[in-house]
Parts: sequence; structure tokens; C-alpha cells
Amino acid sequence: MIQTIPLFPEITLRCCRDPRFKQGCLSLQLIRPMQAEENAMNALLPAVLLRGTRSHPDIRTITQRLDELYGASVSPVVRRVGDYQTTGLYCGFMDDRFALPGDRVLEPMMAFLEELLLESPLEKGGFLPAFVESEKKNLISAIESELNDKRAYAMKCLLRAMCREDSFGLSRLGEPRQVADIDPVVLYRHYRKILRESPIELFYVGSAQPEQVAQLLRPLLARLERAPIPRLPQTGFHSCPGQTLSEAMEVSQGKLCMGFTTPITNRDPEFPAMQVLNTLFGAGMTSKLFMVIREQMSLCYSIGSGYYGSKGIVTVSAGIDFDKEALTAQEVLHQLEKCRQGQITQEELTAARQALLSGLRATHDSPSAIEGYYATAALSGMGMTPQQYMQAVEAVTMEDVVAAARSLQLHTTFFLKGADQ
Amino acid sequence: MIPVSYPELDECCYRETLPNGLEVAVVKREGFTKKLAYFVTDYGAIHTEFTLDGQDYQVPAGVAHYLEHKLFDMPGGRDVSAEFAALGAVTNAFTSYDMTAYYFSCTEAFDACLRLLLEFVSTPYFTPETVEKERGIIDQEIGMNEDAPDSVIFENLMLAMYAQHPIRVPILGTQSTIRQITADTLHLCHRAFYAPGNMLLCVVGDADPEEVRRIALEVLGPEPRPVGQKHPLPLEQMTCPRQETAVTMEVAMPMFNLAFKAEPLGKGDEAIRQEMVADLAADALFGESSPLYLKLYEQGLIDSSFGGGFETIDGCAMLLCSGDSDDPAAVQAAILERAREIAAEGLDETSFLRMKRSALGRRIRQLDSFDTTCFRVCAYHLSDFDYFRFPEICRGIEKEAIGAFIARVVTPERACLSVIRPLNDSEEA
Repeated sequence: MIQTIPLFPEITLRCCRDPRFKQGCLSLQLIRPMQAEENAMNALLPAVLLRGTRSHPDIRTITQRLDELYGASVSPVVRRVGDYQTTGLYCGFMDDRFALPGDRVLEPMMAFLEELLLESPLEKGGFLPAFVESEKKNLISAIESELNDKRAYAMKCLLRAMCREDSFGLSRLGEPRQVADIDPVVLYRHYRKILRESPIELFYVGSAQPEQVAQLLRPLLARLERAPIPRLPQTGFHSCPGQTLSEAMEVSQGKLCMGFTTPITNRDPEFPAMQVLNTLFGAGMTSKLFMVIREQMSLCYSIGSGYYGSKGIVTVSAGIDFDKEALTAQEVLHQLEKCRQGQITQEELTAARQALLSGLRATHDSPSAIEGYYATAALSGMGMTPQQYMQAVEAVTMEDVVAAARSLQLHTTFFLKGADQ
Repeated sequence: MIPVSYPELDECCYRETLPNGLEVAVVKREGFTKKLAYFVTDYGAIHTEFTLDGQDYQVPAGVAHYLEHKLFDMPGGRDVSAEFAALGAVTNAFTSYDMTAYYFSCTEAFDACLRLLLEFVSTPYFTPETVEKERGIIDQEIGMNEDAPDSVIFENLMLAMYAQHPIRVPILGTQSTIRQITADTLHLCHRAFYAPGNMLLCVVGDADPEEVRRIALEVLGPEPRPVGQKHPLPLEQMTCPRQETAVTMEVAMPMFNLAFKAEPLGKGDEAIRQEMVADLAADALFGESSPLYLKLYEQGLIDSSFGGGFETIDGCAMLLCSGDSDDPAAVQAAILERAREIAAEGLDETSFLRMKRSALGRRIRQLDSFDTTCFRVCAYHLSDFDYFRFPEICRGIEKEAIGAFIARVVTPERACLSVIRPLNDSEEA
């Protein structure tokens, strides 16, 4: 299904050839360690690259070129995958078979990607200061706008507190003051360095033959003057004392976030059991938290849990009235206790397994889902294909799930409350 | 079920109107595992006044959404979500201003899932106790929306732009209107708008169209039932009662929604043509390949959060753009100035053709998404249009139509600006 082609040392192309889709996609990611010294620069880079090239000197001419390629898109990719930060570009483009007779999309698209990556206009050995300054402003505003989504903001506060000994607590896009300090020359030197040193992951989904895609990419990659440094392995949760935190804000609804730790990561054989546990405990519309805290107790509209498999963290978040914090937190712990005691019905177990299986089965039905799965699975250390993962989920027993529940420890609680609370 | 092929899009869709009035569409996707089904009623939050069996009714705001929540209850304590989950499927629903949709996606047991979908949506089961209990949940949903700047800014815009149209009230209703909703209200609205003749079933995936048809007839029965007649929506002036509205909230940056009021669309080919004209007008005026976008971006008046397009809702239509900006009024002034230029000079042929090619390519790419496809087939169907005919409509559009739309709609009288400023942001000097 997936063909892996090592193009150069530490440069891997993974191809999923699938003629069913009407579009293709290609992502190119440079793999960096997530660290405060460079995460803001890595987040800024793709936006600066998309501002212009020597032959397409501004956003307008770039968009016009993409319009000619039948409304293709190129967007920044800045992901957190466990201890890594990836930075690069994601291209989406119409399949060649819909183009006018004699017209091609894939080939000129790859040429344009090469131009965007390697033909930035320069000034005094750096990126154009005007591009860098305006993208710095955009990035700062994007980071600060995380405040607008109160649930996401509260979750970020929780993870920052829990992972203060760990890069997982760093903001994915860096901090506003780090962005503000970025200099165009330093940024360009950093870019040259990471092009040279970083492992590179390319992922293609579409109708073309893998060898053709490899052929189209080789000229671009041959220009990189590589001296690659292999990446370090992923690590689990870095322990530190837990905390109980709150912050007051002018809001009408409180957001309760609870963080739990587990030694089980997606590199462990118990990973599928932890996924099943997370699903029946709090992820999904038939989970214990949804059924009890929302449906029976009417305490909230939104509630859910999430499992960060690369780190071994499970989080719960709920939007509630300010005076329901203690009641809700107590009930979350009560429902977890039930899981630990094995008070899980066969129906709950089956439903959770089915939900995971259904999601995995559908992975191959969408180009972006395929890219999302494979382009991060390999990096996070989770070595399973969707097929292998499904087999592992089918094999999860009640005992496995109870053992997973027992491995969870409450670590930190964060409550976003009203200004006058 | 009658198949129609669209070779240009590599699509095939089966359609039929059943004896009970239900419209069925199956978008065949051979070789895919996922199957998605939407069961949709042509009824949404704005339809609060109607006639049923010769009697006129006016119901509180928020009923359509409340009903959507409560339809998941079944007699005998059955739990619909759990039943879908046991089949390995995921179910959910949404209420918009002018439609309500219930859906599931699955990879196995499609027939059983389809039966369950049709059954739960057509089985009203509400008791005073369960209706009461839901109020707490919807209260929290309303609270969540009050803290969500994107909802607040749009709801404020509607309040300023429209004098009487029910789009002035949020889809969820308010904490006071939802207190007027009882089990009887829900029964009444279900009877009025959930008859098969007011509904559409759309499936995307490798499903057997004949089997879909058979199951729909079996679960819903062959007999048509009376459908509530929605009262005509108020006809609005093209000017706005208020042209500006602003509030402060816990946000990081000032945000804006800027809209230009347009004539509501009718139905059929002409309506879709007008919608595509308006979308292309948005691209030409402030899309990423426009000179205005570049100018505003380079001046720092807009950033990558900026975007816009044409919005249509039963009885309303508007060209809308939104984003973060320190000076939304300057963005508005620049858009109006550029609109005057386009109205006077027109568009050049090359960029117009490039925009059309791009618009077509993007729509073709979006067909890979089951959800987008299913939603569009339904939404366009309610406007009496076959969505897969978009290429021929698009090709027929002339550039003069774009200029004419901009000249008519993007004018100072039709503009309305909704702004949210950060709490601790003092007014600019």
C-alpha cells in the first residue's frame, strides 16, 4: 500500500498510489527537535517562503500561478510530533486526468515547490526584511489568538504546566517575544542549516507512480548540500510535581482541564489498550464522561478526553458553570475509578473498539487522512500500519483496558474561571 | 433509482422521489470503504412561523435546534448513539439557519445504520422530564457560544444588518426563549417539518441505490404526510438598519466581519449562477490573487486570517469577509474604493479566465471529501439544483456579470461592519 523510497541519506519519500482520488497531495517536512532556541523560527519559515520567489515576487503572483494550476494550494505545515517539531509545506492539487487536454498539474506543481523552497529573494544574506517583519506580526497574532478559543487556551495552560520539564510544554509556534526577536539574516542561516542537517520526510498521495514522483523530486533534493544529522528517539513524560491552577477571565463559562500521566506511550504494546480506554472513558458520544456528566447530570455541553500517545498523557476538558468545578472534577475521577475497578460493560468495550476500528478503516478514503496518519506515525515511533493497528485493537481485552486505566495518575488540574470568581 | 453520470467529474448519482415524497440521492463511490448518509429536513432555526392543518403557529426561537438534540431520545430508554457505536458508526447532527441535518458515517453494517438513522429521526419521543433536562445542556451550549468570538461577531452583524428577518436571533435561541419550549412545541414542529415530503436522504459511498430506496420506503412507509407551510420571510430593504456594531471581549486582536447586503436568491439554475457570480466577485475583489489583497496585506491591514465569500440563507444573502485587523474601517474603505474601480473599468479577460479555472479546480478537489460533497448535494438540492452540474454553470459565466454584481452590491449603503475589540484595548487616539 505504502511504498517507501529512501531518496538520499535521511530523506524518505513515502508514496500512497491511489487512482480513486480527484486530487493529489504532497507534504515535505523537515524534522527538528522541539526546542525553545528554534521553534519560533521553524514556525515562521514556511510563511516567509510563501511570500515570494525571484520569479513570483509577491503573494499575488504566487496565487496567480496556483490559479493556473487549477486552484492548487500550498500551505505551511508546522506540526508537533512528540519531541519533534516539523516545518515544511503541504501541496494539494487537482489530479491530472481532470486537466484540459495536454495539460499537466503534478509536474509543474513539483517545479513550483522547488522554486518556493529554494529561490527566495534575498537581501544582504538574509530573507527580505519586509517579508520577515510582516510574517512575524502574523505569527505573533496567530499565537496570541489562541486565547480566542477558550477551550484550546485552557488546554494549552494545562499542558504547559504539566510538561514544564519537557519540550511538550513549549508552545508549538513559539512565544511572541521570541518571534519578535527573529532577524532576517539569522533566519535565513537557520533555514540553510536545517535544509542541510534535518531528516526530511516527503509524503505523496495520488495517482502517479511512486518512481515518477521520486524522479520529479530528485532535482530539488540534489540541490540541498546535505550533511544530515539523524534524529534522537522519542521520550515519554518527564516527571515533575503536579499542580492545581486557575486563571480568571471575562468569560461566561468555565473550562475545567485535568491532566493524567501514564507510562504507556504509542511505542508500547499496551498502546491500543490505552486508546480503547480513552475512547470508552471520555472520547466520543457514548463514553462514560459524555453519558454521565453531560447526559445524566446536564453539567455541560462539551466534554471529552484526549490521549497524547507520543508522551503518555491523557487530558479531560469540560465547559461548565463556574460553581460546578468541584462536582465535575469529582465525577471525572469517579468515572475513572469505575474503569479501574473494571466496571465497564461489554457494550462499552465493543463500542470503543468499533469506533477506533471504523476510524482506522476509513483512513484510506481521504488523501489528507492518509497523509496525516503516515506522515506522523513513523515520526512518533508508532510503527504500525492502520491494518496492524486494527488487529491490535481487536485483540484488546477487558483486562488490558482495566490495566491501562490503573496506569493513569492525576497530575495537574487547570480551571479557567470568571473574572469575579 | 435513476443513475446520471457526470464523466467530466468522474461521478455518478442515483436519484428518485419516493411515493411518500422523500427525495433520495446516492452518490456512488466505488472502491471506498466509508459510507456517509445525511437525512435532512428543509427546516431550520429561522422557520418559526408556519401553518399546519389550517392553523397558524408561531414558536419560540431555538426550537429547531432543541428538537435536533431531543430526537436522539427513543422510547424504552434506547440510546441511539450507543446503538450506532455498537455498529461501529459515528452519528451526529447540526442545525443551521435554514436546514437541519442528521448523519452517520460507517465502514460496515451500512443497512442497519441507515435503518437506525431513518427510524430515530422519524420517531418523536419527548417527555416533560427529558425536555427539562436538556435545557441545562443547551444553556451550556449557549454559554459556550457567548464566549466564542466568531459566533458573537456574526450574530451581532445579523442584528445590525437586518430589520425583521429571523436571522437576527441566534440559531440556539436565547436562555429566555428556550424556557418557552415544551414537549408539545417539539411535537408540533416535528409533525410540521419531518414529513418525508419535506426531507432528503443523501448517501455518499459504495452503497446499493436500490437497497437505500427499499430501506427508506420500509422505515418511513409509502404514504405522504402533510407538511407545514412556512410563512414568507420578511422582505428586507437593501440598506442596513445599523451600519456598525462593536463590542469588547476577551480576544487577542481586534476582529471584524464586513458584509454587503445582496438580494436573496431564488431557486434553480439562475440562483446557482448568481451564487457563482458572487463567489467569483469575492475572488476578484479581495481574493488572494487580487491587487487589493496584496495591498492590504503589505500594509499590514489584513493578515492570513482574512478571507471571504458569498453567504446565502433563506431570505438573506451577503458578500462577507472577515479577519483580524487593527483598523477594520480602513479595510472597508479600501474595499469600497476597489469596488468603484472594478465597476468603472471591469475585469481583464486573462485574470477572469484564470479565476474561473481555479474555482473549477478547487470544486473538483473538494469532491474528495465525503462530508463536503454530501452537504453540498443536500444544500443545492434544497435550492432545486443538481450540484454536479456546477462545471457547465461556471463555464457560462461572463466577466461582465462579475463587474455588474460588484457595482450593485459593494456600495456604502449596503455595508455593515461588526467589530470585536480586546477588553483592555483603549480606544485608539
